[in-house]
Order: sequence, then structure tokens, then C-alpha cells
Amino acid sequence: MGTHIPSIDDTKELLKKNQIGIIGVGETAQGKIPGKSSFHFLSEASKLAIEDAGIQKSDVDGIITAFSLVEETFMHCTTFADYIGINPKYFESVAIGGATAVWMTAAAAMAINSGQAEVVLCVRGDNTLSGISSTGMIALIREMCHGEFEYPFGLTTPGGYALMANRYLHETNGKREHLHSVAVTMREHAKLKENAMMKDDLTLDEIMGTRLLASPLTKFDCSIVSDGGAAFIVTTNAKAKELGLKRDPVYLHGMGQGFSHQYLTSCENLDQIYGAVEKSGKKAFETAGMTNDNVDITFLYDCFTITTLLELEGLGIVPRGQAGAYALEGRLHKDADTPINTHGGLLSQAHLGAMHHVIEAVLQLRGDAGARQVKNPNVALVHGNGGIVSAHSTIILGNEPVS
Amino acid sequence: MSEEKNEYQKPLPDFRPETKPFWDGTKNHKLLLPKCKDTGKVFFYPRAISPFPGSVNMDFDWVESSGKGKVWTFSVHYMGPTRAYKGETYVVAMIELDDGVKMMSNVVGIDPEEVKIGMEVEVVFEDATEEVTFAKFKPVQ
Repeated sequence: MGTHIPSIDDTKELLKKNQIGIIGVGETAQGKIPGKSSFHFLSEASKLAIEDAGIQKSDVDGIITAFSLVEETFMHCTTFADYIGINPKYFESVAIGGATAVWMTAAAAMAINSGQAEVVLCVRGDNTLSGISSTGMIALIREMCHGEFEYPFGLTTPGGYALMANRYLHETNGKREHLHSVAVTMREHAKLKENAMMKDDLTLDEIMGTRLLASPLTKFDCSIVSDGGAAFIVTTNAKAKELGLKRDPVYLHGMGQGFSHQYLTSCENLDQIYGAVEKSGKKAFETAGMTNDNVDITFLYDCFTITTLLELEGLGIVPRGQAGAYALEGRLHKDADTPINTHGGLLSQAHLGAMHHVIEAVLQLRGDAGARQVKNPNVALVHGNGGIVSAHSTIILGNEPVS
Repeated sequence: MSEEKNEYQKPLPDFRPETKPFWDGTKNHKLLLPKCKDTGKVFFYPRAISPFPGSVNMDFDWVESSGKGKVWTFSVHYMGPTRAYKGETYVVAMIELDDGVKMMSNVVGIDPEEVKIGMEVEVVFEDATEEVTFAKFKPVQ
């Protein structure tokens, strides 16, 4: 009695027993959309996901939300449960920056696996673009770094990533084009995504001719700021059938997290970051019983061009030091051998953390990605990263049931 | 010079009580680093508890750094976080001190475009206000 030490094996068993997956997704319009509150976007996204799933609001018994950059909400998940009129058996606010959306899926699965809820709504939305004042923006920048030992030196948000980008270029003997070409590919994808905010032509030449914000990054290397909402619904296959749903879930096969640091001052070297990314991916792969060879399409957290490159290498998708070359050769494009972020990502589609990455993964696996569709994908990897390449989360989604 | 001090418009540190010895140090133009008693190693940034694995040491010795190090990485900022930086081009860098810790700061006394990774630097103290002095870094001549 009491000799069992839980491990990934337990998770594997539970995921196989319970066959948990995503049965509904919803994305509102994204972009500059004044006149709608943060909670309006949360509501709209939830409505769309509920309708996409083919369930009723009253079927939802779990709520997982993130946070707002605009509204000062002390308990975000319960505030939204109150707002939308859901009395949840399970409620949780996941607040780990950009690692949030990916981890919401895992948190939903853990709640379901432990019998806390059956149908979990995961939602994030905000009027970040229209609703945040310049003071608010300054406060946000301050929060991205150490207020006592980093911020007073004038570090900006792009600056933090720029520090990492310059170190990366130094260690890989790389050049600016390696970074910028990620943005070029993201723009190509965004053009095919209906609700993408940025659709103007974007060439490498244009980026090279744009002024630097913080060397080596231009505005095109930075994620956009947008208004909008996005949601997805997680449940078991058994519950989906009980509710009479026509579509099979997109199944969750594995999940993992990895931590490097929070403040750049605590980041000893790039290996520390790679290590955290690798740990996150490894746990997800081990739980899923898969490797990179099984993955057909990848979604990486492209808050800045540099994070994409670090994740590609850290996850072992691309050999160390070569992600820049891959990007420059166009190999990250949907028609190439290492397609990523077919929705245009944080660089061109919208910024709700990795919500759209999770949703686009589901659309791709369903075969519903329209002009962005890659050929017959069966397995998707989605990676989120919070802070400045600090905190990582990975999930693996697949069309096949967990076996 | 006193007018400049009174008119310092850029962000001042969000002080926490536990970091006082560091800022007392810089005010006296010394770069002091907290040293964990369990591991005997210095760490940065200063905080109330040792960040080393296995240590919960919360009372530290403070030792003086040589103030010498190298630029581990940097970024030339053409746009600052607040209006006080308007029109300025400046360098934010992560300095790797010879003591073995990293410290974020500005590299001063050199054209921003000339800064290189690996460049040897040494500490220089900048009195921002009557109360606050920053440890910044300039190239070793």
C-alpha cells in the first residue's frame, strides 16, 4: 500500500482509457476591432466553439481560461463563468504566458482524467490592441523583465528577444535574413487565413530595408497585437458519442512542460533554453509513444522570429544551428518539408498566445484548413512558450485514438 | 550635474527591501554581489533566498566584484520603452562578469554600432539621482 510513484505511464494509461480530445473550436474575427470588451470576445469565441462542437452551453461543466492584459481580473476563470452563465464543476485560470493555450489542453485532460469535469471549455480573448492604454503598454513591457535589475536599463520587449537573437546569430554564424525569413513565411500563410490581421505582401528585401527596433530585430520580427477571441472544447470520446456528436475528437496523445528561467539574467546560455524546449517536447513524445518522425505538421510559438528558430532546434525538428537556413530556404512553408504555423502565427495572424496554433492544428487534422491544408496530416505538435523563451509547453494531437 | 540628477526621467528600479546592500554598494561606487553560504558562490540578481539547487540559505555575505567581464550578448536599441528615451540610441547588454554571473546593463562610452560580443568591459558607476546609482559598463581600454 502506498508504494506507487506516479509517472508518465499513468498518464498514458489514462489517455488511452479515456480517449480525450478536442471536439469544437471557435475563432472570432481578429485584428483592430474596437467596441468590444475582453469579455465580449471570450463570449463570442465560446459561442463559436460550442456551436462548432454541436453541444449546448449547459453541456459544458469545466472552464479553463487564461488572463486579460486589459481587464484587471483577480480570478479570471470564475469571473468568466459568472459572465457567460456556466456553473462549472471545474474551474482554472492558466497563466503561464504564451505556454498557456497549449497547456490548457493538458489541464483539461487532467481535470477530465481525475473525474472533475467531462466537457471543458478552454477560452482566451482580449481587446489588447484597442483596449490597452500607452501606460498599460508600458506596464506590460515592465512585467516582461525584472523591474529592478533589467528594466531600468531601458530593455524593451523586442529588446529581450533581440538579446537572444544576437547571441543565436553569433553562435550559429548566422545572419539577419535567417530570422526575417520566418516572418516572410508566416505572412504567406496568413494571406490564406480568413481572419488573419496582416495580409499585405512582405518580402525579405522589405524587411532588410526596414529600420531596426533593437538589433537585429525589425517590427516584422515581432508578434502583432490584436483584438479577438478563440476557444476550444475538450472531452472524452465516450462523452462525445453520448452527446450525439458526429465528429470524432482530435485526440490528445501527449503533453509536457519545460522550464528555463524567467529573467534573462538567470539564463546562463542558449543550451539552458534548448534544454527546456527539449524537456517539454520529450515528455510529450514519451507520453505519446512517438518521435519527430511521427509528426506531420508543427505549430511553434512565433512571438518573435528568434523563438521559432530556437524551438525548431530545441525540439529536434531541425539540427542544432540550422533552423535559420531552413527558414531562409522556405522549408517552413506549408508546401515544403517542415510546414509550420499554416495560419500565419503570432507574426501575421493574431496574438492570443498559442490559441490559434491549437485551433489550426485541429483544423489541419480534420482536413478543414482549406487553401492552407497540408496533405493528410495525422499528427500535429503544438508548442507554446511563455516569457522570453522561458517557460515551455508541448502537446501532441492526433487523428488516431490513443493506443 | 545636480540638475541632471533631479531631472532623471528614466525608470528607476522597483526596489525590494532584500536588495538594499546591492544599491548601497553602487551608491558607494562598489559592485557588491551576494554570496550563498552553502555553496560559497555568488549569484545575481539579488534575492532573499539562495537560487542554487539544494540551498535555502537566506543570509548572505556580500563580496566586491572586480567589475570586469565580457559582453555575452547585446542589442542596440533604437526605440526605448518610455518617452524619456526619445531620440536615443543605446546598448542593452548581458554582461558575463569574471565572477561567473550575468548582469544586464548598458554599455557606455562607445559608439553603439561598435559593440561586439566578447568585448572586454569594466564597471563604471552612473549616478542617476541622489539615491540611485547604476552599475554600467564601458570597454576596457
